[in-house]
Amino acid sequence: MERLFERRLESLAEIFAFLKDASEAMSLDDRLSFSVNMAVEELFTNMIKYGASGEKEILVGIERTPNQLHIRLVDYDSEPFDLTDLESIDISAPLEKRRPGGLGIHLVKCIMDEVKYEYKDRTTHILLTKYL
Amino acid sequence: MFEIDRISESEISLAGHFDASQQEKASKIFEEIKTSHTVLFNELDYISSAGLSILLYTQQRLSEVGDALKLKGMNPHVKLVFEYAGFDQIFDIE
Repeated sequence: MERLFERRLESLAEIFAFLKDASEAMSLDDRLSFSVNMAVEELFTNMIKYGASGEKEILVGIERTPNQLHIRLVDYDSEPFDLTDLESIDISAPLEKRRPGGLGIHLVKCIMDEVKYEYKDRTTHILLTKYL
Repeated sequence: MFEIDRISESEISLAGHFDASQQEKASKIFEEIKTSHTVLFNELDYISSAGLSILLYTQQRLSEVGDALKLKGMNPHVKLVFEYAGFDQIFDIE
């Protein structure tokens, strides 16, 4: 299943409705469904935050094989930004040293088993895999 | 659907789906808090980094005057997010 969404925060409600239908169609349990919502939200919001000048809609796709769940986000009008290359955040830092930057991507890496990034012709592909 | 309410002088309740599109609504309430509060998560189904950021800013601000947020009643999925973020070390989670 895949669908295009306008690059604005208000699209999140439609995205979650789409993911709910997909989760039900693929018989994902509550925990997996939660992880799917989080991974897609974090990546989508990241794309619209750092790609504010992009004009094209963003594609969200999800499919299940017997042993794996694949999630795909494609931004057709973007600058290169390799989220797999980010420095990891320090989750044991004291309160005063904590910063929210990078938290979303950190969470995606925690809940997914593979995160792949590809960039070509202004198009960013992010491919996530969760082993079932 | 996301709801946030000040239910008493020292308690806030969260309910529903706390995603990035709710940041403004939640910030308004959390910015009003000047002393220690308990945040009730019992009816909250979902939270992402946007919600965590607001809680972090509030905790940092309160800690400067020796106060803090206490978080209570999280479902297991939400609790796991706090653990992944290492927020179980900077919040009292009951």
